[in-house]
Amino acid sequence: MSLPSTLPVLLGLAWLVPLASFTVILFFGPRLGPHGKHGSTVATGAILTSFVLSLAALIGWVWEHPVQTAKHEAHHAVAAKIDAAEKADGKIETGIPKTGDKSAAVETEGGESHEHAGPVYYSGEWYTLVSVGRLRLTVGYYIDALTIVMFTMVTLIASCIHFYASGYMHEELHEVTDHEVTLSDGHHLHRPGRYPRFFQYLSLFCFSMLGLVIAGNIFMVFVFWELVGACSYFLIGFYIERRSASTAANKAFITNRIGDWGMLIGLMAIWGSLGTFAFGDKQTPDGKLAVAKSGGAESPGIFSLVRRPENGHRLMTPEGMVRDGMSATAVGVATDVAKTTAEPEGPAKIGHWLLIVAGLGIFCGCVGKSAQFPLHVWLPDAMEGPTPVSALVHSATMVAAGVYLVGRFFPVFTPEVLLVIAITGGVTLMLAATIAITAVDIKRVLAYSTISQLGYMMLALGVGGWLAGLFHLITHAFFKSLLFLCSGSVIHACHTNDMRKMGGLRKKMPWTAYTMLVGCLAIIGGGIPFLIGLSGYYSKDSIIAQALSFKLANPSPLCGMMFYAVAGGAAITAFYMFRLWYMTFAGKPRDQHVYDHAHESPKVMYVPLVVLAVFAVCVGWPIFQLPQLLEQARPAGTGITINGGVFAPTLVHPAEHLSHEGSIHITATLVASATALSGFLLATAIYCWRLISADEIRNQFRPLYNLFWNKWYFDEIYQKIFIGPVMFVSRRVADFDRQVIDRFINGCAVAVRQISVLDDLIDRWFVDGLVNFTSRKIFALAISLRGVQTGRLRQYVMLIVVGTVGLFVIVSFFWNPAWGAGPPLKP
Amino acid sequence: MDNSYAALLTLVVFLPALGALVLAFFPKDRPEGMRLFALAVSAVVFVLTVVLAWPTPAGGSAAMTGFSIGKAGMQQMFSVPWITSFNIFYFMGMDGISLPLVVLTSFLSMLALAASWPIIKAVKAYLILFLLLETGMLGVFLSLDFFLFYVFWEVMLLPMYFLIGVWGGPRREYAAIKFFLYTLLGSVLMLIAILMLYFTSDLRLLSPQTLQTVRIAASEDTAKEIISRPTAQHTFNILAMTAMGQLKESPFSGAGEVANGAYVPGTYAHSDLLWGKNLQWWAFILLFIGFAIKVPAVPVHTWLPDAHVEAPTPISMILAGVLLKMGGYGIIRICYPICPDAGYDLAWFVCTIGALSMVYGAFAAMAQKDFKRLVAYSSVSHMGYVVLGIGVWSATFRHGYDPDYWAMGMNGAMFQMIAHGISSAGMFFLVGVVYDRVHHRNLDQFGGLFARMPVYTGFAIGIFFAGLGLPGLCGFIGEVLVTLSVWNFSHTLAVISAAVVILTAGYILWTIQRVYLGPEYKGPHGDHLHDMTGRELAIAIPLLSLAIFFGVYPQAIFNYLEPSVTGSVRQLADWTKNVKDAGGAANPAPPLPAAAKTTEPVTPIPPSNTSTTQSSTRERRPIAPLTSALATGTSSER
Repeated sequence: MSLPSTLPVLLGLAWLVPLASFTVILFFGPRLGPHGKHGSTVATGAILTSFVLSLAALIGWVWEHPVQTAKHEAHHAVAAKIDAAEKADGKIETGIPKTGDKSAAVETEGGESHEHAGPVYYSGEWYTLVSVGRLRLTVGYYIDALTIVMFTMVTLIASCIHFYASGYMHEELHEVTDHEVTLSDGHHLHRPGRYPRFFQYLSLFCFSMLGLVIAGNIFMVFVFWELVGACSYFLIGFYIERRSASTAANKAFITNRIGDWGMLIGLMAIWGSLGTFAFGDKQTPDGKLAVAKSGGAESPGIFSLVRRPENGHRLMTPEGMVRDGMSATAVGVATDVAKTTAEPEGPAKIGHWLLIVAGLGIFCGCVGKSAQFPLHVWLPDAMEGPTPVSALVHSATMVAAGVYLVGRFFPVFTPEVLLVIAITGGVTLMLAATIAITAVDIKRVLAYSTISQLGYMMLALGVGGWLAGLFHLITHAFFKSLLFLCSGSVIHACHTNDMRKMGGLRKKMPWTAYTMLVGCLAIIGGGIPFLIGLSGYYSKDSIIAQALSFKLANPSPLCGMMFYAVAGGAAITAFYMFRLWYMTFAGKPRDQHVYDHAHESPKVMYVPLVVLAVFAVCVGWPIFQLPQLLEQARPAGTGITINGGVFAPTLVHPAEHLSHEGSIHITATLVASATALSGFLLATAIYCWRLISADEIRNQFRPLYNLFWNKWYFDEIYQKIFIGPVMFVSRRVADFDRQVIDRFINGCAVAVRQISVLDDLIDRWFVDGLVNFTSRKIFALAISLRGVQTGRLRQYVMLIVVGTVGLFVIVSFFWNPAWGAGPPLKP
Repeated sequence: MDNSYAALLTLVVFLPALGALVLAFFPKDRPEGMRLFALAVSAVVFVLTVVLAWPTPAGGSAAMTGFSIGKAGMQQMFSVPWITSFNIFYFMGMDGISLPLVVLTSFLSMLALAASWPIIKAVKAYLILFLLLETGMLGVFLSLDFFLFYVFWEVMLLPMYFLIGVWGGPRREYAAIKFFLYTLLGSVLMLIAILMLYFTSDLRLLSPQTLQTVRIAASEDTAKEIISRPTAQHTFNILAMTAMGQLKESPFSGAGEVANGAYVPGTYAHSDLLWGKNLQWWAFILLFIGFAIKVPAVPVHTWLPDAHVEAPTPISMILAGVLLKMGGYGIIRICYPICPDAGYDLAWFVCTIGALSMVYGAFAAMAQKDFKRLVAYSSVSHMGYVVLGIGVWSATFRHGYDPDYWAMGMNGAMFQMIAHGISSAGMFFLVGVVYDRVHHRNLDQFGGLFARMPVYTGFAIGIFFAGLGLPGLCGFIGEVLVTLSVWNFSHTLAVISAAVVILTAGYILWTIQRVYLGPEYKGPHGDHLHDMTGRELAIAIPLLSLAIFFGVYPQAIFNYLEPSVTGSVRQLADWTKNVKDAGGAANPAPPLPAAAKTTEPVTPIPPSNTSTTQSSTRERRPIAPLTSALATGTSSER
């Protein structure tokens, strides 16, 4: 079987197996073994199957598309040539098609033209959800190197976490006493365990997450986007009896929905003008482009529409958006849009804002999902969920989905949008890092660290470091899930999250302590400069390098800030991570009671830690060529320097390969090492050697400390400016119904009743009165006429005669002679 | 063939009424038997509607049953003269728009009757009224004669009044009379519009082929005979009215010359009826208000919360599940096709009403303390999608008369009606389940139901998430289709309608938290909280299963809906291009100076002294646009 037909089957199965597991546990959960113990077996088996299938897909992919460093270099050479050509041209390029010279230059590179023709991918449709006219919403797949790497990463980490969770959640196998819930009678809550339910949700989550990754169109991404949100809701709120948990779950879902609102707007902008959601072009079953009779793609996807192959994959406003933009500005439908777009001036601007809206909208969804500023508030609260959930959903996979989507949608983002992404990432990374310094809840420190690292990735993508961002996504997934699982192990042992009650635990739980040390070193990018390092060393290095490259290319101080944020963030990261490690594992126990009860976790829990630690160390090593593999999926036309957007003409996004070169690379490595080292040393000085007192610093910087401790008051501000007003409006609306509309209706009814009473009075007094009056008068008249009734015959005869004569006289006055002649005329 | 359709459709509509008649002879002391009988009747009706909907194999002989999927037009029509002096027919038929609603009606009626077991007061009367109500509902969806439609519309009204007013909660009389008066106001407005349309309609304008397809004439000869008649041939036939409404010179658009007491074909001009608006504009407004009350759209929605709060559970299910759909059905079947000109002009009005309902309903729902009131307001919000989806007339000049986005909106609206029928009926049922146990609906006095009633909570969360529009459940498809289609009509409304997803998530999740989550139950009668009974499960399982099924496989409905809805939209898009904008591509304003038009500027000529000379001068009169005629006053001599 050929790869294009095998891969969809493999990954499709890998995607659906967890759904099967979910269904099985849903219906038979409590009956799977004693207390549903085998629920974990089913779920773990399912995710392991998915992992094996993904691994097979990965091997198949690498077999067919071997990673070639040489080719990679050659690609750089091509890209450099194009750059040079562009510089020679000296014009702002975006949106303006340059038919001819440059694309021709690309074509003439001969053997390398394939490389520049865009990434290798297989896309297709499985299922049509809705089809109206030519508009179709489908379920399909888009498989490239990124998809496969994500699949392998997600299933591998999820497998580790499933094993870990089967140990961590064992309490749920029997009656649980929840010490955090006090009932109205003063007792703690007793409830039956919910072991199988937990694995049911995990399976549903894995299904949704894999669906998100394999999605062949942005609509399907949205569908699974919402589904992972729902799974996250259930998992955060797993301890449904705890009010804090259910509130955190609501907060997470609603905050995400705010992001989804933006995403929906982005979807509308794309849908309304392009009429398609597909990423890739329609393909024939053997993975070749389906060619229409006219020679172009039969039904091009979004990527080809915004970066048309005939324009050398340069980003330009697609035809549909130009048409839409013109109709919105009431210019009217041009007779020939193509003619207009061919003109050098103007067309890029018309409808270009739609491209920006689309990009910002999609990014808005990513802001929600990846907990970026200003929607970052839900993630720390989400730590109310069980720790395996925090490790899987809220650090490694789901929250990284936002970064993944930015990477996937990268070709559609205009330079302006990329700048917004970079700024958002920069703000987030500093914000979260500062809060992490003061947090004392071990999981919250990690949560803020996650937000900060996601900010790193966003920033990397925003400054043009597509590869750097996604590379960091993969490495971060391993070491952050490792860190979370270690923290879970600690919590499992100590029954508290508060680091102020820990200390010295490395003697009690060495496996946990040292795997966590590996995680800490990985996240700060530990390593020997220019020689070797942990996975974070490589990925963080490339981010710093790209930020530096961006700074050098753009003289604006705002762009320079990106680099300083990255460098400063690296130092703070090193500080708070080692603060965490020292407070937990080093020194003397602060709470003897906790220390005495602490114990190393069972094997089923620490073996996954070791596995993840191994990956956290070496997944970034050059011999595994992970960046080169990802590079295969680089969107067409994004490997070169982009000069300026339509609305930000001076902005330069330097090509990513430039950051690997000489001085930039060396400076970046030195900066990364220096910052990490300084943060590490500071933490060591304060929390290990105790040269400086932490309390002293706290008192010195009281206002700043308060700001960080209260998380920059975001929750309070949001309560004031969003939640309060919404509740206010909703109450006013409900009041309006009762007080205004219903009053009006009731008033009408009352008025009608009053009128009817009046009507009744009129009837009684006026109409009836008149009738009665008349009848009384007539009666009186009759009585008085009785006098005529004398009974005398002569008098009667005389009255008859007088009457008859009178009649004749009257008739003779009015008689018309014509009446007698012929039939009466019709009027 | 006609006869077999007639038998089947008539049976579907009148079987419940027949059941009600039989029920009248049941002994009073056998409530159980009566309930079972009524349930059996509704089950038979449901089976019959499924038979109606059963797909006919392509190319197979059109047997008496079955529905040809993929056909846009009416199917299984039959027409029998009823009141001949007014051209009223007993005319029924179905297409992809009405059929899903018919099946939904019979399905929900069956479930609602199954949910009627807790009703113990005057069971016989209750069941009789319920079955009469079902006849009314089915009749509305199936009738194609406007008069017949109106009759069924009213038939539906009265049983509902009694069902709320007798079997309802403490304020039932207020709620019932409010419901009755609101709806009656709507029907009266509708009646006025019907009569307006009836007395301006003229069958002679239609081609012989059309007359045959709309079942006015059995053969071409009859059709030609009708066309050659000297006087205007008024009609209540909805299909004929649709055809007339979309004519290039629609009689509903204004007045023409009058001869022998009727307008002369070919003389129509846009003219004013009142305040500068023509007849179909006013007819549209009247009909729309009538249907908007039923939907219900803000600001004529306040009957709904009261009616729901007071109505017993099964009646709430029917009210939310079926009765509200009649509003949407009326707009889609009557307002737009018959009065396209007005629909085009009023698209913004309709869409604003829709978006307003969505936002307003969601805000109001968030503030409610009563569980049923909250669900009622969520209905207002969700039905707003329907109005919005129908109204997004984006097939205009600006978009090159592309009907697809509007068709998507209307398909989404129709789907939303079905989906809401399932999810809202489910929500009301589930609220009823807990009300039966603890006899209160105060949202602040629940909590912890998850632990006490786990199965029930599972169903409730499933159904509530369907209402929230979670992908994979039925609510999502309709909402997302409508929302996506709004963009091409108006960016602003699109952004507003998309924002409703946040509010919806807000009130539904907050409700789930207050009712189902938390450590313990806080209200009275806590010891009655036992999990669902078998009968309740038998109602909840089909609802949730369908919510999932339609969410995952919406084609099951779109196979029926899409051809008819899209066909209807295409007709309107063509109408926009050929009639509305016929003046030329550069000028999207209503083009009036079409060559054949004459000017009858302000008032139609009084019918008294018209003579043949008048109509012969008609051809010689200089042709001037209406606007210029108005500008110069009515100087041109008559």
